[in-house]
Amino acid sequence: MLRGLSWRNFDFLLLGAVVLASAFGVTMIRSAIAGNEELLLLPTRQMYFAIVGVVVIFVLASIDYRYWLSIHWPIYFVTMAFLVALSSLGLAAFGAQRWFQVGILNLQPTEFAKITIILMLARYFEKTQNDERSWRWIFRGFLWAFGLMFWILIQPNLSNVVVIMVIFGFMLWINGLKIQHLVTVALVGALAVGTLVAFSILGLKIPGIQPYQQQRITNFLIPDPQDTYGDRYNVQQALVAIGSGGLTGLGYGHGTQTQLRFLKVRQTDFIFSVTSEEFGMMGGVIIILILAFVIWRCIRAAQKARDVSGSMIAYGIGVMLFFQGAANIAMNLNLIPVSGLPLPFISYGGSGLMALMVGIGLVESVAMRHKQLEF
Amino acid sequence: MSSSSLPRTSQFEPWRLFIVYGIVFVVMAMLLYRLVVLQVLTGGEYKAQAVENYTKSISIPSQRGIVYDRNGYVLARNIAAYNLVITPANLPDDDADIQRIYREVSKITGVAAGGPVTEDTLNFAKQFSACIDGPTIADMVALGDSIAPYSPVKIKCNVSEETARLVRERAADLPGVSIEIEPIRDYPTGSLTANLVGFLGPIPAADEEALKARRFVPNRDKIGYAGVEASLQEILAGQNGERVIQVDVAGKELRNLEAPIPALPGNNVTLTIDTRLQAAAEASLMQEISFWNTYFNTVRISSGVVIAMNPKTGEILAMVTYPTYENNRMARIIPSYYYQQLSEDPRRPLLNNAISAEFPPGSVFKLSTATGAYNEGVVNDKSIIFAPGQIELCDKFTANETCGANNTRPFVDWIYDTRPEGFGQIDFFHCIAYSSNVCFYKLGGGYQDEIPEGLGIFRLGEYARALGYDRRSGIELLGEATGLIPSPDWKRITTTEVWSTGDTYIASVGQGYVLATPLQVIMSGATVANGGKLMQPTIVRQVTDAEGNVQEVWFNPADFTVWFAKTVIDSKGDQTKQYVNPADPNKPLVKPPQGSYQISPFVPNVKWDITKTPLIQEYNCDAGYCQAVEGQKKVVNPATMTAVRTGTRMTVTDPSGTLHKVFTVDYPLPIAVAGKTGTAEYCDDVARKANRCQFGSWPTHSWTLAYAPFEDPEIIVMAFAYNGGEGASVAAPIVARVLQAYFELKAIDIAQGGAAAP
Repeated sequence: MLRGLSWRNFDFLLLGAVVLASAFGVTMIRSAIAGNEELLLLPTRQMYFAIVGVVVIFVLASIDYRYWLSIHWPIYFVTMAFLVALSSLGLAAFGAQRWFQVGILNLQPTEFAKITIILMLARYFEKTQNDERSWRWIFRGFLWAFGLMFWILIQPNLSNVVVIMVIFGFMLWINGLKIQHLVTVALVGALAVGTLVAFSILGLKIPGIQPYQQQRITNFLIPDPQDTYGDRYNVQQALVAIGSGGLTGLGYGHGTQTQLRFLKVRQTDFIFSVTSEEFGMMGGVIIILILAFVIWRCIRAAQKARDVSGSMIAYGIGVMLFFQGAANIAMNLNLIPVSGLPLPFISYGGSGLMALMVGIGLVESVAMRHKQLEF
Repeated sequence: MSSSSLPRTSQFEPWRLFIVYGIVFVVMAMLLYRLVVLQVLTGGEYKAQAVENYTKSISIPSQRGIVYDRNGYVLARNIAAYNLVITPANLPDDDADIQRIYREVSKITGVAAGGPVTEDTLNFAKQFSACIDGPTIADMVALGDSIAPYSPVKIKCNVSEETARLVRERAADLPGVSIEIEPIRDYPTGSLTANLVGFLGPIPAADEEALKARRFVPNRDKIGYAGVEASLQEILAGQNGERVIQVDVAGKELRNLEAPIPALPGNNVTLTIDTRLQAAAEASLMQEISFWNTYFNTVRISSGVVIAMNPKTGEILAMVTYPTYENNRMARIIPSYYYQQLSEDPRRPLLNNAISAEFPPGSVFKLSTATGAYNEGVVNDKSIIFAPGQIELCDKFTANETCGANNTRPFVDWIYDTRPEGFGQIDFFHCIAYSSNVCFYKLGGGYQDEIPEGLGIFRLGEYARALGYDRRSGIELLGEATGLIPSPDWKRITTTEVWSTGDTYIASVGQGYVLATPLQVIMSGATVANGGKLMQPTIVRQVTDAEGNVQEVWFNPADFTVWFAKTVIDSKGDQTKQYVNPADPNKPLVKPPQGSYQISPFVPNVKWDITKTPLIQEYNCDAGYCQAVEGQKKVVNPATMTAVRTGTRMTVTDPSGTLHKVFTVDYPLPIAVAGKTGTAEYCDDVARKANRCQFGSWPTHSWTLAYAPFEDPEIIVMAFAYNGGEGASVAAPIVARVLQAYFELKAIDIAQGGAAAP
C-alpha cells in the first residue's frame, strides 16, 4: 500500500488550516467555559482529541483510501450496529439519543456514520459512473445511504439526516444529475419543507418529527416577542453576543455575554457567537475564511483525484464541512432555526472532531494519490 | 481505474463544479454580509442589550426618622423583623441534603417541607405572594430558583428573635438558610397617639413612577398614610442609596459598575405632644364616656375629642380623639379586614376628628359674638340686657317685612326648663358667664328698642374668622376641615333660600349653619385667652438630622411642602441661605414660600394679633342689613379682649357661672381658671336615623374650653363629646381633669429640676 507513496503530495496547507482551526477552537472553548467548574476540563480534553486527530490524519493519509473502499460492507454493518445499539441503549439527552458513554467520553456514532456514508456513496458513484443518469440511478444511491440514515432519522437527529441528504444531493449533481430530475426533486423537496413549516406553524404533529423540532421552526419563523426566557432565549443571547462584539470584539475572556453566561451552550452550538463577541468581526471572518480554505482544499483534492471514488470522498468531506459550518454559523446569526450542528474543528466535541480528522485523513490520502499528470 | 480513460483533466464537469463553487461563495458571502449587519450596522443596539443584561441597580434602603414627643419619649421607631429566607443558589448540590434542610426548616417554622415539585404544585405556589402562608418550602424555593437563584426566598416572615438566633447559630448545618432583617415601624404608644403619628402603607400605584424616580422601591419602601408619618413624609423618609452592579446570568453580584450612592437617613421629628398629658387626656375622656355610657346603659357618647394647647406658643400638648385605631396593627401590612372595619365605622376612627370633623360649636361660639358685639359698640361694660327664659323673635326675610304673629316665634334660653323666668337683668360679662342664649340673640340680631342694631351676620363672620373659624388652621396634619361660617350669599347659593333674621339669631349662639372643628374651637379660646394674639397651632417642635443636629425647617400649609434651610457658599465665597424642598431639590428658593412658617427649631409663630392686625372689615349697617366699606379694615380694641376675658373668668367665679361647680367643687384648682361651655344641638344623619331630631329637644354635643392661669394663660384645654349632652356636666369634667394633670405634671417637672416642660 505504501508503494510509490510520496509525502510531497501531502496537503500541508490543508493540515495547517485544520490544526489552526482546532487550536483556535481549543482557545475559544477555554474562554467559553466561563469559569464553570463542571466544564473546566473541556479545553484540555479537546486539545488531546486534536493531537490524536493529527496523528490519525497522518495514519489515514499513509493508508490508501481504496483499502477502506474494499471493506466498505464490513464498515457499513459495523457502523449500523453502533447506530442500532444507540437506539436501544443510548442516553436520552435533550430528547434525542445521540451518544454512548464510554468512560468519561460520550461517543457519537452518528458523526462517524456520516464518514461511512460518504465512503459508501463514493463506492456507489464509482460503480455506476458509466450508468445512465436515470431515476433508478438516483434511487439506488439513496437506498445505499438510507440503510444508515434510517437509524439516524429514528434517533431522531433530523439535522444530520439533512447533512447526509445534502452530501448525497451535491454528489448527484457533480456526477451529472439531469436537470429535469433536479427540478422534480427540488419541487418535491420544496413541497415537503413547505408542509413541515405549515404543519409546525399550525401546531399539527408530523409523525417521525419531534415536537421540539417543530417548535424550533415555529420559533424561528414567528418569534414570540414576550418570550425572553423560553426557546428563543439562546438565539437572542447569541445575537446580543455577536452584535456587541463590533468590529474588533471585547477582547479574549472579556465578552460579557459569554463570561457572565447569558449565552448558553457556548462551547458547542454557539462557539461562533463567543468568537464574534470576543474577537468581533475579525474573529468571525477568520473562521469563515479558514473554513472556506479547507473546503477549497478538499474540492481541489477531489478534482485531482485519480479515480471517481477518491474524488467523491474528498468532495463529500468538503460538502459536509461546508454544510455543517454554514448551517452552524447561519444558526448563530439567526438565519436558520436552531439545529445543533457543531461548527467544524471549533466546537467542543471529541467524536465530532475525531470524525472530521478521519475525514481530513481520507482527503489527504486521496490528495497523496492524485493523478500523475505532470509526469 | 476506468476514470483515466475519460478525456478530461478533472473528475468534474467544469460548469457543474463552477456551480458548486458558486453556491459555496454565495453562502459564505451571505454569512459575511449578515455579520457586517449585526456587528457594524446594528452593533450599538446589541451592545446596549448586553449592558442591560449584566447591569442591575440595587437600592440601599435608608432609615426612616424617629418621632419623639416633647420629652424625648419615642412615638415611632424602626425595629427589626426577622424573615427566614433560603437562597436557592447557596443550597447544597445533593438532593438528600436539600431535603434534610427543608425538613429542619419546616420543624423550625412550621411551614410544610413539601413533596416532589410538580407543575401543579408550582402553579399553586405561584398564586401566593411572599410572606403569605400556603405553599411548601420546596415549591417556594423551586419558584425562586427558576427566577433568580441568588435572590433570597422568604420562607417565613416575622419569625421570633429566638428563631432568628437559632438559625444563625446553626448556619453551618443549614447552608442556604439565612435570616433577613426587615425594618418595620413600631409605635410604642400605639393607639394613644395613632391619630397624630399615623401609620405607613405601601406606595400607591399612582405615585409609583414619581417616587421611583426618587429612588423609592415599590413593594419594599413604605410611605406615610396618616398623621405626621404622612404629613412629614418628606422630613422622615430620607433617601435611598443606590449601587449599580454587574451580575451574571444567575443574578450573582460581581462588582460595582458605578461609585455607590450612600443612603441618606431620614430626619427625626420631635413633636410638641407631651405623652403623659396625652395619656391623661385620653384617660379623662374615656372615664367620662364610660361613665355616661354606663349610666344610660347604652352607647350614648360615641366619640370625643380633647385638645390641650399652649395658647402663648401654639404648641399642641395633647390631641386625643376617640375612637381611634391601633397603628401597630398596620406595621407590617395593612390587614384588609381591620382596615375595612375602621373605614366602615360611622364614627370614622381613621380620621383625626380633632381637625377633620365639623360640628356645630354651640355656645363656645358665643366668644365670637361677644368679641364682635363689644368691639362694635353693640354692648359695653355698663349695658344691662334683659334675659328672660324665652323671647319672641321676628324671623324676617326682607328688611321691609313687618313683624307679626305669622313670622314671630319663641326663642328659648337653655335655663328655661329649670328657671322659666330666665336670668333677668344681666350685664355683658354675665351673658358670657351664664351663657345666656337670649342675651346673645339680642347682641347678634338686635332686639326691638333695647338693642336696635345687633352685630349682624356679616360682622359676626368677620369676628369669628378673626378668632380662627372658617379657615384651615395650617397645622402640620393632613385632612383638616374648614368649618363653616354662613353668610347670606352662601345660603342663597347652597339652599336657594334668602337669609333671614332668624338665621342671624341662631348663628349668634353657634347653631344653625355654623360648623367648626374642635381645633378651631380651641383656637378661638386661645385667641381670647391670649388677649387677641392667635398663635399658629403646631405639633412639631424640632427636626434633627440623623446626627442630632437641629435643622431649620419651614412648613407650607398650602401644599404641605417642607423647606430645609441650607447654607450655600457661592463662587465668590459668600454664604447665602437657600430653602430646599426635598421632594424637588433642584428648585431651591431664596426665601421660604409665602404663607409658610418655621417648624424647627421651634419658634412661636403669631398667626395674627387681632388687636394689631387690621382683620375686621368695616360694614355700614342699617336695620340688620350691612354693606362692606371697601378697603376699610380695623383692629379689635384691646379693651374688648379684656372684657371677653373677664366674662370667661366669671364663668368660673360667679356662683351661677356654667363652669363654677366643676372648678370649685368637683375639681378644685388653686389656679385661676377661665373658660366657656357649649351645648350644641345637632341633627345629623345618625340622629335622624335614630329618630331623635324632635323639635325642641334635639340631641346635643357637649363642649367646654378652659384656660389657666387666668392672668397669664399657659394652657388651654378643650373637650368635645359627641351626643354628650350639657357642656358643663360632660365636657367640663374632662377639661378639669386634664388641667389638673397638666399642673401636676408641671409640678413634677419642676421638682425633678427639669425645665418647666411646656
